[in-house]
Amino acid sequence: MRTAEKFPERPALGAQSKTLTYRELRELACRIAATVQARPEYSPTPLTAVFAYRTPTAFAGVLGSLLAGNGYVPLNRSFPLDRTRTMLERSDCHSIVVDLESLPQLQAILSGFQRPLLVVIPDLEDPGGLQEQWPMHRFVGARDLAPPQAWREPAIRDNSIAYLLFTSGSTGVPKGVVVAQRNVISFVDYMVERYQITEKDRLSQMFDMTFDLSAFDMFVAWERGAFLCCPSQKTLINPGKYIRGMQLTLWFSVPSTIAFMKQLGILKRNQYPSLRVSLFCGEPLPVSSAGAWLEAAPHSILENLYGPTELTISCTLYRWDPARSPGEAELGIVPIGYPYPGMRVLVADHNLNEVRPGDVGELLMNGPQMSLGYWQDPEKTAAAFVIPPGKTETYYRTGDRVRRPVGDAPLTHLGRIDFQVKILGHRVELGEIEAIVRNASGMDGVVAVGWPVTPSGYGGVEVFLEGPPADSDRLRKAVAAQLPEYMVPRRFHFLEQLPRNVNGKFDRKAMLQRLVKGL
Amino acid sequence: MNPMSPEGLRTFLRTYLSEKLASRGREIPQEFGDDCDLLLSGIIDSLGLLDLIMAFQEHCGCEIDFDALDPEKMTVVGPLCDFVSAQIAKG
Repeated sequence: MRTAEKFPERPALGAQSKTLTYRELRELACRIAATVQARPEYSPTPLTAVFAYRTPTAFAGVLGSLLAGNGYVPLNRSFPLDRTRTMLERSDCHSIVVDLESLPQLQAILSGFQRPLLVVIPDLEDPGGLQEQWPMHRFVGARDLAPPQAWREPAIRDNSIAYLLFTSGSTGVPKGVVVAQRNVISFVDYMVERYQITEKDRLSQMFDMTFDLSAFDMFVAWERGAFLCCPSQKTLINPGKYIRGMQLTLWFSVPSTIAFMKQLGILKRNQYPSLRVSLFCGEPLPVSSAGAWLEAAPHSILENLYGPTELTISCTLYRWDPARSPGEAELGIVPIGYPYPGMRVLVADHNLNEVRPGDVGELLMNGPQMSLGYWQDPEKTAAAFVIPPGKTETYYRTGDRVRRPVGDAPLTHLGRIDFQVKILGHRVELGEIEAIVRNASGMDGVVAVGWPVTPSGYGGVEVFLEGPPADSDRLRKAVAAQLPEYMVPRRFHFLEQLPRNVNGKFDRKAMLQRLVKGL
Repeated sequence: MNPMSPEGLRTFLRTYLSEKLASRGREIPQEFGDDCDLLLSGIIDSLGLLDLIMAFQEHCGCEIDFDALDPEKMTVVGPLCDFVSAQIAKG
């Protein structure tokens, strides 16, 4: 808000070929916020869902929720309907901001939805037809949005929520991570200083809002009056022209994008001279990718960021140095570096005792960016947010394997300790896929494995089932109705008996071996 | 028919996608034509597009520079095939 007053006529957001100034974005956000505030009966839970994709409404919806004193819950229309419905139900949201493009999906969700909702549709002048069709819910279109001056600044408490973000959960139900405003403020304060963001900067917005790295783009840009540039869904795939056309100064994406752009032949020498900061996060960054990127963006620094959603966007970073870094990398992967100010690192064995310098263990962290835990799930929160022996403070167990640094060496990331895998930067619990396949197939012996192996994780998922061959197509259809595309198994393998190890547990390695051999 | 002509590439694309879809238990949709958007119609996702680009490059035996192609048209059958064919002709 302060930024909007300081730079009212500077561009705040470019999306859908439209540019909104800070004044325009603020006004739309205030109108949405005031509309939500005018009906407090729809905020028994301090959350508002935002069902919108890469449109001005999506961004104004996020700001409007926050200005109303509510955290935002991003929903994504590229997810299956059932998953979105589950997120909306589980979040206990009573208000939702929707863009025109997501409206058809919302209507499909509303049939059978039990809770009355306040549905704000800033792109639709008159939602009268919808109101008639769904009398249980309250629809507000552009015509009836509250005036911006009706907005009242909400009281911010210590644990006021910034956003509730659902990640893949091992029991077949997505888990909601609750991130507080103070977590995000701590993060943004450090980032804007470190990268010296000013109103002259132009930041990329590559991440979907259901991916928490999008919060970096929005809040880092808007804290300093910079221009947030949101490409269309298709431009994401071939962003070369967009980077040059918009003269982006800060780039932030998953490392897979580098490999992607290399394949498209759009990572040539000095192709992106406007970039001064390039950041990568979300999956391991291969050394070769870092080198290729810097050749195309020679005036840019490059940093590798690391952080689970539970620790707010990112919490360690590593500055790439062409001379020193290849020697510090492990397994060809760029180190994740050093914790942000105030964030503490503990590398522990399975009993949560600290390992010796140089040894490998699980990464635990705490500090001002440690989130509030899982939404309405004290059991899962207690399992992941723990007080290790000999400590007095709570730490978050990341589930990531790292080497405890010797001296002032950087942290290096060595993979996951459990069955979470990364598919194109998406964190996927294989257990969730197994649970859904188990349910859909009626078979008990179900094992999901990441396959094929790629430099930064896996290209997809394949599933082994114990039992007589069944109709793969039908099974895939049933599973696809409940999972995002990247989690839908590419193939099903039916075996009379699944390989097991000496402890009687399913032997994932043996199943991987079958895939390696092409069985 | 010259396999590198726009028509030849359309045939290649159709065969390639039919096989891909068949391995996932699906068929190529009725509306598959020059205006068909592979991404929006759900025929491929962004990972699938990368596979497709690699298949194109293998088929043509050369690297294709996609910088000149309008991203909005990149996933549309007609413009994609015409672009790749023109790139090959340029060498």
